[in-house]
Parts: sequence; C-alpha cells; structure tokens
Amino acid sequence: MLVLTRKLGESIAIDDHIKIVVVQIKGKQVRLGIKAPPETKIHREEVYKAIQDQNTEAAQADLSSITNLANELNKK
Amino acid sequence: MKIKTTRFGELEVDKKDIIEFTEGLLGFENLKKFFIVDPGDQTLILWLQSIDDAATALPIIEPKIFQPNYMVKLLPVELNSLSLENLQNASVYTVLTIPQNVTEMSANLKAPIIINNKTKNARQIVLQDSKLEVRFKMYMDLKKYIVNYASDDSKRTNIATPAAREQGPTVVHANTAQATNANKNADTEAN
Repeated sequence: MLVLTRKLGESIAIDDHIKIVVVQIKGKQVRLGIKAPPETKIHREEVYKAIQDQNTEAAQADLSSITNLANELNKK
Repeated sequence: MKIKTTRFGELEVDKKDIIEFTEGLLGFENLKKFFIVDPGDQTLILWLQSIDDAATALPIIEPKIFQPNYMVKLLPVELNSLSLENLQNASVYTVLTIPQNVTEMSANLKAPIIINNKTKNARQIVLQDSKLEVRFKMYMDLKKYIVNYASDDSKRTNIATPAAREQGPTVVHANTAQATNANKNADTEAN
C-alpha cells in the first residue's frame, strides 16, 4: 500500500479525474473531500462489510426457517 | 446438467438458466455460478443457489412485492458492466436474512442483485443512495402482500406453473419477454 503524508488543505490526485482533499483534522477524525466523475462509486468501507455480513447471514437460512416464516405469514 | 443441492436435492439445470456473477458476491467471492430455485412454497421467496457449492443458497425476493416504490437507479458504467441499456431486460432481487424470530427478517435494499435476463450475467450492485438500508425490515409488508394476494401468481415475474409446484422445487427459467411484461403489469398495479 502506498502511504503518503498530507497536511490540512493538501490533496492527492488519483488518475486524472479523482482528487481527495484533507478538509479537516479534529483529534482522531479526518474529514476528506472527494472530487470524482459521477460514475465513480464511493462508499465507506463499512458499507461493504455490512453487505458481506448480510450475505453470509442470509446463506444460513434453511428450509425450516422458511417453513416457520410461511406459518407465521399465513396466520390471520 | 444435474446439480446437487443441500436444500433441494438434485435438480436438473439447463445451461441457459445458469447465472454468472463474474465478481462473485460479497462474502462469497469464489462462487461465480448460480441458478434460481422456486421451492414452490407460498412465501414468494426464491433461492439463489450456488452451482459450485451445494450448501450455499441465499433466499431472495423481488423487492416490488414488499416495496412497490423501490427504484433501482444504476450508473451508466454499472449498466455497461452488465451489457444493459436499461433495466427492462433485467431481473432485480434483494437478498433476505431470515433470523430465528422470522418477524425480524430483512431485505438488503442497498445492494440488490441485478441479472441481465439475456446474457445471464449478474452483479450485486451497491447503490449510492445513502438512505437505502442493508437490513430493511419488511416482514409486515410481505405479510400484508401475502394476505391480500395469497395465491395471485400473476403478480410475480418468475413463477412455477401449478403442475411444476406439485413436483417440488423448480429452476426458474430465463423468460425475457414475459418477464418484462409481467414487470410492467406489476408496475401499473402497484401505482
């Protein structure tokens, strides 16, 4: 991994069209500004982790969970 | 070809019904090939069954069933990655988690599964809209739908015929033209 040191207000350019600016530094938090073309997907890493966890948990369902669900759904 | 599955036994799967996730799914990066099973129950839930691993299958559902206003907006680059011009020829599903307490079930609206019905290429796409939930609780919405339309199969895009249902789990086929029409109908009725 490439590691760069930046000061407040300084930025990093990725390719020709992506720019990441250090907007604010407050204690342990860093605020970043990101300029990128509209087709660039930008997410917090946690989003991917949450989706990964959701998928893994989804795959644990078996047919008995569905039977339970079907019974519950059909209760008036 | 015959595919062994842990949940549904051995199923005959036509090559054209095999869905390919070239990038895999988050958490299952190594599994690329899947097909969709309709277990023929009354829950409207289908299963995304792995071909490579008999034990891996994820319950999925069409989001229109419980969330009529759910709109998937893809970026041009995402449509391109699936060789799609728009979502007319695509199927959209959300992944479900079904915990012990089934009323806590949830659907992943943040990252739907999009399948190109023609090429059968698929991706789980993380949508940019930050309001969409990864675990959207939808038990009550599903229940409402099922109580209202208990056996109205015309609302579903991909359905097993009643005859097929009696035989147990069936593979959901690629049915581009009909799927599109069914989607359109569902849209009109939902509005």
